[in-house]
Amino acid sequence: MFTPQKGLDRWISKLTQHGDRPWNYLLLFISSLIILLIISICFLLWRDSALARTELGWNFLSPTLDANWNPQNGNMQAWPFIYGTLITALIAFIIAFPISIGISIFLAEISPDWLRHPLSWMIELLAAIPSVVYGIWGIFVFLPQVVTPIGNFLAGTLGKIPILQSLFIGPIPESGLSRLAAGLILAIMIIPTIAAVSRDVFLAIPKAQREASFALGATQWETIWKVLIPYGSSGILGASILGLGRALGETMAVTMVIGNSLEGSASLLRPGYSMASLIANQFQDTVSTLHSDALIEIALILFLVTLLLNLIARLLVWQTSRKFLKG
Amino acid sequence: MFKKLLNVVLVVLAGGLILSACQPVATPAPVAATQALKIEPTLAPGSVQLVAQGATFPLPVYDVWTKSYQFVDPAVNLTYAGTGSGAGKKAIVDGTVDFAGSDSVLKDEYKTVPDLQMLPTLAGAVVPIFNLQSTEKDANGNAVAITALVLDRQTLADIYQAKITKWNDPSITKLNPTLVGKLSDATITVVHRADSSGTTEIFTKALASFSADWLAKVGAGASTVEWPVDKNGNGIGGKGNPGVAVAVQNTTNSIGYVELAYAISNKIPFAKLINKAGKAVTADADSLASAMGDFANAFDDRLNATIVDGSGAGSWPISGYTYLIVRTQSMKDCVKAQKVVEYIKWTLTDTRAGKIASDLGYSLLPQAVLDKVMGKLNAITCNGAVVSK
Amino acid sequence: MQNIQIMPQPISSISKRSSKKRKYINQLMLLLTGIMVILALIPLIWIVGYVFIKGSQSINFDFFTKLPAMLGESGGGILHAIQGTIILTIIAAIIAIPIGILVALYVLRHANTVIGIIVRFSTDVLSGIPSIVVGIFCYALIVKNQGHFSALAGGIALAILMLPIIIRTTEEMVKLVPNDLREASLALGAPEWKTALTVILPAAVSGIVTGLTLGIARASGETAPLLFTALGNENFDFAQIVQNGIAQKQNIFIIIGRIINSPVDSLPLTLYKYTSLPYPERIQQAWGIALVLLSLILFLNISTKVFILMREKKMRGK
Repeated sequence: MFTPQKGLDRWISKLTQHGDRPWNYLLLFISSLIILLIISICFLLWRDSALARTELGWNFLSPTLDANWNPQNGNMQAWPFIYGTLITALIAFIIAFPISIGISIFLAEISPDWLRHPLSWMIELLAAIPSVVYGIWGIFVFLPQVVTPIGNFLAGTLGKIPILQSLFIGPIPESGLSRLAAGLILAIMIIPTIAAVSRDVFLAIPKAQREASFALGATQWETIWKVLIPYGSSGILGASILGLGRALGETMAVTMVIGNSLEGSASLLRPGYSMASLIANQFQDTVSTLHSDALIEIALILFLVTLLLNLIARLLVWQTSRKFLKG
Repeated sequence: MFKKLLNVVLVVLAGGLILSACQPVATPAPVAATQALKIEPTLAPGSVQLVAQGATFPLPVYDVWTKSYQFVDPAVNLTYAGTGSGAGKKAIVDGTVDFAGSDSVLKDEYKTVPDLQMLPTLAGAVVPIFNLQSTEKDANGNAVAITALVLDRQTLADIYQAKITKWNDPSITKLNPTLVGKLSDATITVVHRADSSGTTEIFTKALASFSADWLAKVGAGASTVEWPVDKNGNGIGGKGNPGVAVAVQNTTNSIGYVELAYAISNKIPFAKLINKAGKAVTADADSLASAMGDFANAFDDRLNATIVDGSGAGSWPISGYTYLIVRTQSMKDCVKAQKVVEYIKWTLTDTRAGKIASDLGYSLLPQAVLDKVMGKLNAITCNGAVVSK
Repeated sequence: MQNIQIMPQPISSISKRSSKKRKYINQLMLLLTGIMVILALIPLIWIVGYVFIKGSQSINFDFFTKLPAMLGESGGGILHAIQGTIILTIIAAIIAIPIGILVALYVLRHANTVIGIIVRFSTDVLSGIPSIVVGIFCYALIVKNQGHFSALAGGIALAILMLPIIIRTTEEMVKLVPNDLREASLALGAPEWKTALTVILPAAVSGIVTGLTLGIARASGETAPLLFTALGNENFDFAQIVQNGIAQKQNIFIIIGRIINSPVDSLPLTLYKYTSLPYPERIQQAWGIALVLLSLILFLNISTKVFILMREKKMRGK
């Protein structure tokens, strides 16, 4: 055993002679900070939304066609923002899901080995682009060149059909600022999330499944469609929920392209608000405690919803990987 | 051995970093109430950090003032963020800034922080900017932009109340005989503020004075309103004065309201208004001065004054004062308190500062008001001692 | 994955047609997936290309070295944003890296205990929190209590967002280190902390550095939490503060304290603010900022890939 003699060595070994206990305590202490952090976030959100929860009650959240947002006289309903968040996330998901699954199939099953890494990396680069860059590109490039023409087209076609009119009634603003714009940009942003996780799900499916299918005479597509997708379905579902969670919580890109309007329309082609963009815009200039508490209550809802989705997604992905290990 | 030393040094540095974050800036000990505070005459450059935020109405001037103040007093590093009057009021109440800018008057905030004081600094004009394309085309087939428009008070209020929805409405063509046949039947896109705004408060106070219907249905002037145009789907909200300017620039057949400086520096055309006296006036130094003169005695004991819809022949109907909000007793850092007072005094009395403001289209305070503001500034205390020398 | 396609052998003419149809569908669908990939790459190339072309018009020496000019005037730069980003990232890294690594070590050792499961659960919760909620939290906890907006509050908000990435990657990488290494070190008499710091972490360092780089890339691109914490500061010049401090003979802790307690801007925050201004000079500078941001993110991503590849080559070379 090494017996330290000289000054500093002796001092340090005296400090550390208690064995592993200080170290383990340190690890425990730091880890408990994480737990404390989560608890404090929940506590703070709950405490600072108290006034809104008591005074505005459930009416605050209920879907009404005639919702108001008037912080001056305290008449506030959150439904338009909940609607905005949900509808933009839904558009994003409907567009992103088939594209992401297609990408993940290509990367996992079809792509040659030398192409897989670079392509995957490029797709993941989409996720690395900061959302303000999506925002500025959206405002000056994507919206005028892509969204406005699409919006005009939709207003002219689907907007004329009576059943769909409430969703597609135009006209889309010249600038393209609309829920549709937010949905499209969100779609681009969540494609890498869904694609990357789904690709990993496909790659993890045991070879035996594919070989059995080929042995029975199936084409590659039939194997993918009839065997692999059902087999990895819970993992794909988990990936989708992760992507959906990201779409619900995204703030900056949505704030910059959704138009931030309290207009009462439900149409995709009109500007609206999302929960996150409302908070980003109004949190700094609340006119009363009720107003800021209402915003924090909206933040609380956002937090709970994304938390729930995140956990379900992780559970599904985890469950899938266990299933694959069993074969 | 070296590694151990390195570990020890890192721990000490980390500890020091954490400790230094908690160290407050040194403040002199409290002095008796009658004595003026003695501050070091020569503070090192950049040693006092002042943070302010608030109204975008005076932002073009405040931006120049705050960035050039370091050449006047190198000890002060000053920053002003244009976040809107509402954000400014909230920040000074929360205590997260040293002073705030606001054109919106304080009301309930006095209950939370009783020693807040609004100090008028400048007067400015809110102008109705527009983006209009005529129905006639030039040689290349592009629509010609309309650069001059006349509106009257009731028409402006009706446009914002969504009672007038198209540009070729008879009330507009009646006021603009040269534009008959050139105004298209496009729907008017009405741009307003999305955030809590003092400019909105000045504008809506004016609208409430212009139109009894506006006052009845929408309400008296306020920093946030439920805009009738939003319900119709023809409203756009911009963030800050700059946001409204951008929205109007980028949307054809739109109208909005911004402080005069934004219209001038971005070359956005704005409409002339027919004032209460029946004369068509444009916003400039003279019409602003006339409006200020109409309400010379309007300052209440909180030093607030509303100067909209003056009856003078040459008065601009949508004029307003902008204020700085300070805490008069509860500032905790007395060095900063002194520097805040010095800065505000500089903006009000220095001729170069005044020239910067008037060059941008703002008006300086009349002498009587200036004296009252100086009086309030001289009464500011920190830890019980009067701050200014 | 080889392209195994075993085609069924048709016997009758009917099955010949149906097998042709299946072959056709197969080709079509596989082609479709390829099209999906191209579809996803179009916005990537469009954004990167546009930002580089438009943003390069702003790039000059002044852009990187000067504070902003007055509103409406041309010239000036984004020195305040660059310095702010650096300071915020340093603060966030100093907080998140040690905490993240220590938590990862704890979770690995105690994966099946109650606290271990709760900590892992908390990490998952953290990774899903919308960044604006973190901003609200830091405003209420730090800004309101301190009485001023500060880089410290912004840095803490970014650290909270970086933590889950660091914890997760460290955990994954340390898991890959064979347990024998740890047991051998302990057998030689080294205490746990020494084993962890001098044996295990160095073995996993390439992966941990990857995680750190990804965390930093994320933190430098975040805007929402900074809206309510760092506020933004167009008059911030780090060099001036240091110079003034030295001239005043202040000790280094006071200087550091001054730096972290002032409000700062950051690249994405400045980009967001400039985008809504009507002044074309500011908008042009906004594109320049987008270019700087994208280059930074690309650089960080590419360097992690290169780092991993070099590491793998080294391993294979042995």
